[in-house]
Amino acid sequence: MTFRQTMRACRSLFRIRFAEGLQYRAAAVSGVFISVFWGIIECVIYTVFYKYSQNPWNDGGMSLTQTMSYIWLAQGMWGLQAMSIDGDILEKIKSGDIGVELCRPMDLYFHWLAKSSAGKLGAVWLRGLLTIAAGALMPAAFRLKPPDSAAAFGLFLAALALAFALCSCYAMFVTAIRVNITWGEGPTYMLMLASGVLSGGYLPLRLWPDFLQGFLRLQPFGGFVDIPAQLYIGTLAPRDALAALGVQFFWCVLFLAAGRAILRRRLGSVIIQGG
Amino acid sequence: MQIELDDIRKGFKVYERPQGRWGILKGAFTRNVRLVQALDGISFGIGEGELVGYIGPNGAGKSTTVKVMSGILVPDSGECSIFGRTPWKERVRHVSQIGVVFGQRSQLWWDVPVRDSFEVLKDIYGIPAADYKQRLAELCCMIGVEHLLLTPVRQLSLGQRMRCELVAALLHRPKILFLDEPTIGLDAVSKLALRAFLKQENRKNGVTMVLTTHDMDDIEALCERVMVIGRGKLLYDGSLSGLQQQYAPEVIMKVNTDEMIASMYSRLSLV
Repeated sequence: MTFRQTMRACRSLFRIRFAEGLQYRAAAVSGVFISVFWGIIECVIYTVFYKYSQNPWNDGGMSLTQTMSYIWLAQGMWGLQAMSIDGDILEKIKSGDIGVELCRPMDLYFHWLAKSSAGKLGAVWLRGLLTIAAGALMPAAFRLKPPDSAAAFGLFLAALALAFALCSCYAMFVTAIRVNITWGEGPTYMLMLASGVLSGGYLPLRLWPDFLQGFLRLQPFGGFVDIPAQLYIGTLAPRDALAALGVQFFWCVLFLAAGRAILRRRLGSVIIQGG
Repeated sequence: MQIELDDIRKGFKVYERPQGRWGILKGAFTRNVRLVQALDGISFGIGEGELVGYIGPNGAGKSTTVKVMSGILVPDSGECSIFGRTPWKERVRHVSQIGVVFGQRSQLWWDVPVRDSFEVLKDIYGIPAADYKQRLAELCCMIGVEHLLLTPVRQLSLGQRMRCELVAALLHRPKILFLDEPTIGLDAVSKLALRAFLKQENRKNGVTMVLTTHDMDDIEALCERVMVIGRGKLLYDGSLSGLQQQYAPEVIMKVNTDEMIASMYSRLSLV
C-alpha cells in the first residue's frame, strides 16, 4: 500500500470520525461549564497566593496577569489531552472487533491514530474555543489578555498544532500498550494521569521548584499545554521558541515510533476473543 | 486450488480459578492454565468459485479457521496458502483481495449515514471513483438498499444492517468472501434475500465463498459442498446429500420453513 493511499484513507477516516465527534454538542456545552468553573476557582486561588503570600512567592518570572491568561489557555487546551483511551477503540479491543479492523488493508496504527485524533478534535474544539472566549470576557482581574506580540501569537498557533499532534501520538502510544488485553485499565490511567500533571494543566510548570525546571523543559508533556501557553503569554520568548517546538516535535516522532513498534509486536500475539 | 490449508493447529490458553473453599483467594495469586486445542490439524483445499458451507457445533473451531484464513490470527503450526500467499505474513496485501462478514460484528460506522461508511471504505481500499460508483449502484440494486443509504446505521434494523454489511464487504470486488454466521438473528424474508444475493454474486462474478453457520437452510440453499468440524478436526468433507446418507438416512427433508414463513409474511403484507 502506497504512502499516498494511506494518507487518503487517513484523511477519510479523520473526516468521518470528526463528523461523529461533532454530534456531541450537549457534551461540549456542559464541558464549557466545567472548564469555566475550574478556571474561576484557579483564578481566585492564584490571586490569593500572589497578593497575600507572607513569604516571597517564587513566581518563576510569571506575573499574576500572565498566570490568569495561562489558566484560561490551559483550560481551553485541556480537552486535547486524552484522559482515557478512545472509547471506540477500547470497545474494539475488549470485544474483539479488532479483528474487523485487521481485515482492512491498512496499517492499524495509522488507522487508529487518524480515528482517535479526529474523534478527540471533533469533540473538543468547540469546548476549547468557548472556554477561551469565556476567559476573554471575565472581569479585568481574571481576564485572558491578548497575546504578548504578533510573533508570540503565530508561534502559539504553531505550538498548538504540535500540541494536538503530540497528544494524539501519546494517546496512541498508551492505546498500543492497552492492546495487551490481559492488563486492564490500571497502567493506562497511571500513564495518562502522569502526563496530565506534567503538562502544566494543573499547575503551570513555571511555578514548580527551580531545580526541576531543566527537567520540566525537556520532558514530553510540557508540549501538551505549557509550551503553547508560555509562548502566548510571553514567558517563553520567541527566540527560544524553536527549541521548544523542537522538543514537541522530537517527542511526537518518538511516541509515534515507539507506539507503532509496540502495537506491531503485540499484534503478533494478540488473541481475538469471542465467536 | 485457491485456498489451501495444511495441518493447521492453534491452541488457546484458558485461565481457570482454583477450586475449593479458598479458591477465590488462591486465584488472586495463581491461575490454572488449560490449553484448548481449537484447531487440531485442519487440512482442506477450496477451488475458485466454490461455495462451501462450514459447519460444526459451538466452539468447534469454525471462527478460528476463518480468522486464520483472513490473516488476522496466526496459527501455532501448519501451512496456509491463499492466492499463493500466506495470509498472516502479507496481511495487508491479502485482505485487500478478500471480503469478510462477521454476522455479530459491524464494520459500519454507527452514528453516520451508511453512504459515509462506504466512502471511507472506498478510500481505504483505494477504489477508483468511477468503479466505486458503478459497483455501488450495482450492489444496491441487487440487494435493495438504495433507500437506506442516507440513514444512520444505528437506525437500521438488523436485516437492513446485514444487507449493508454485505455491500460493504463486496465494494472492492473481493475474489474470496468469508461469511461468519451472516444470517444470525435475521427474519425469514431477510434470510431469503441474503441467500439469493449470495448465490447471484457467486454465479455472476465467480466469488469463492466460505460460509459458517448454524442454519442448515443456509447450507441447503447455497452450498454444494459441506465441511464439518468438531473438536478442532475436520470430520466430513463432501456433499450435503452425502452427509445425510452417511449419518441420518432416515431423515427426510421436505418442508422449507423459511419459505413458508416468508410467504406468510408477504401474504399478511408485513414486509
